Amino acid sequence: MDTFIQLTVDALTLGSVYALIALGYTLVYGVLKLLNFAHGDVFMVGTFIGYGVLQLLGGAASPNVPVWALITIITLAAMGGCAILGVVIERFAYRPLRDAPRIAPLISALGVSFFLANSMQLLFGATPRTYNTFEIGNGELYFKGFDIGNVRIPLLRIITIGAAFALMVALYILVNKTRTGKAMRATSYDREAAEMMGIDINRVIRFTFILGSALAGAAGVMFALRVPTTVAIGFVAGLKGFTAAVIGGIGSIPGAMAGGLILGFAESYTQGYVSTKWSDLVVFSILVAFMIFRPQGLLGRADIRKV
Amino acid sequence: MKKGISLFLALAATAVVAASAQANHRTAASASAGVSCKSTFTLPFVTPLTGGAAFLGQEQMSWASYAVKTLAKSYGLKIKLVGGDTPVEQGATPAQDLAQKYVGDKSVVAILGPSTSGAVAASTQTYFSAGIAHLSPSATRSDLTKTVGGVKEGTPAFFRDVPGDYIQGPSDANFMIKNLKVKKVVIMDFQEPYSLGLSSAVDTTLKAAGVSTIRLSAPNTTTDYSAYVTKVPSDADIVFFPTQKPADAQTFAQQLLEQGKKAKVFGGDGSNDSTAFKVPGSYVSNFAPDITGIAADKALVAGWQKANPGKTVGSFGPPAYGAAQILMDAIHLACKADHGVIKSRRDVLRKVKQVSINNWILGGTFKWSTKSNDPLNAKFYIFQIQQNGSYKLVG
Repeated sequence: MDTFIQLTVDALTLGSVYALIALGYTLVYGVLKLLNFAHGDVFMVGTFIGYGVLQLLGGAASPNVPVWALITIITLAAMGGCAILGVVIERFAYRPLRDAPRIAPLISALGVSFFLANSMQLLFGATPRTYNTFEIGNGELYFKGFDIGNVRIPLLRIITIGAAFALMVALYILVNKTRTGKAMRATSYDREAAEMMGIDINRVIRFTFILGSALAGAAGVMFALRVPTTVAIGFVAGLKGFTAAVIGGIGSIPGAMAGGLILGFAESYTQGYVSTKWSDLVVFSILVAFMIFRPQGLLGRADIRKV
Repeated sequence: MKKGISLFLALAATAVVAASAQANHRTAASASAGVSCKSTFTLPFVTPLTGGAAFLGQEQMSWASYAVKTLAKSYGLKIKLVGGDTPVEQGATPAQDLAQKYVGDKSVVAILGPSTSGAVAASTQTYFSAGIAHLSPSATRSDLTKTVGGVKEGTPAFFRDVPGDYIQGPSDANFMIKNLKVKKVVIMDFQEPYSLGLSSAVDTTLKAAGVSTIRLSAPNTTTDYSAYVTKVPSDADIVFFPTQKPADAQTFAQQLLEQGKKAKVFGGDGSNDSTAFKVPGSYVSNFAPDITGIAADKALVAGWQKANPGKTVGSFGPPAYGAAQILMDAIHLACKADHGVIKSRRDVLRKVKQVSINNWILGGTFKWSTKSNDPLNAKFYIFQIQQNGSYKLVG
């Protein structure tokens, strides 16, 4: 039972980070029908922004601010930095190709991905960067928390899972209950019709990139609070986020959340109950199974065309 | 018409391939021509300068550079040390590419490194074919110098000035058995040559002593070890974690504490980095002692510290200094024997095994084993991480 609880906590931690990344893919795809393959690298940049701000605040061992403020500041900084990066990417890599054949922005996205990864490597090298959260308050993020049976749920996990779910709920409310969200949904449904109805499409698309990239920045910090980051991390994270988005139904916000969690649970339980070697095999087998039997994903809509 | 174009393209491709083969042949031929000992020799150091093991390469490079700066003149040589980057995350390819490049360079008569076992395995055949001695200050996999299970990956042109895993594995395992009195040990590997060899060596010794072992295997790209930590039984005493990325050893040790597991992490030489792996109570082993405690090295350490202000003396650098010293000595001996012109790189290769160094940087005298291209009587040292993050010699 202890193993089950521990694996479930692992799955929720992992799944919530995947879900945040998947949301970025799904938001952009929903509005632009573009697979933004640079999204994983925006996530990677987020981990580095968090690292940089953490150092500016005195580092993990002797921060100049309380722990809660430290985590809030580095998360907001990463979200802000990634949001700006998202806007720049949209403006210079995607907007000029908006009416081009769909393959053109796809290639542009891959180019941006390589550009970001290699630029970061040139600037910061390939050495792993660690937030050293273990040193914050003599390990209080690891030792404080609560127990379920014999399993300790440390503060760091609670913060990661709690913040991720709070962001997902906030996004859901923003998209479904606000005027901007309504404009996003209208643009997603029919871009031309939305434009004719007076919606500023450029503004909506820019806002979508801001949202998606900010979520990637937050996911980056939540990820790097627990494990070291490198410039190569974007590829794997992006691949997992994209897989989660496809499993959930790309374009569907609740689908991306569900997809991320499914991936987290599949990975964790496979590592725990089957074999640590097989987790990627199982994860990508699930993707293949969805592609064959339910290509629109768990909560996506089938693409019905008149012939 | 189409047939004609296809034929023309095929002929053109054949001509290009033939021309390039001819060019390669010329390069190899010119590379093997005599080299004056008054010219500047290029001494490449093949080591990870970026990536998860960059700490190792950077430290080694600084010591090799110091050796060249302070010793080359006394051997009557002009040496240009150059770095060849082999990030561990990129597998065998960079080492193979660099080997091709250096074989074609006439001024290269010996190679420092490769530093990692995987990189040695990937390039040793190329160096051997070209008669180039390559001396690693840190590649410890057993089958690079000895036949293990019918396999020997290293060639006669490969040398190392540190002991192999056939010493490290049993040494670590015996420390666990005798000093830590372990009953259950979890052994990780990372699906790459270094950790697979070392894990097996530890596993064999522990099992022979009746210790219960559990094997876990993670891809080399793993960053989050939570699920692996979950599989560590609560009564396990030690997790043997032979990574080449010390930051990962730190993550694993933190996640053990996070889950309230009592097992301590025991890393191999690849995790010996006091700036990245610092969870108190953990263990690391290494092939070099702390040379700041060797009286004969006092001036050497002071000189290196002056040349590298703010840096601390680690365990990977000193064997790199020693390796550079051995190779310079071998080039010097070859120059003497060939009367000022090294006729063939094989002349340097033949001289490596004749080198013996008094006042060896790691203490005592350096001599080669007569049975393999390993140092004579070398041993591994075991350190425990203290509350202040320092490494204390415990075995």
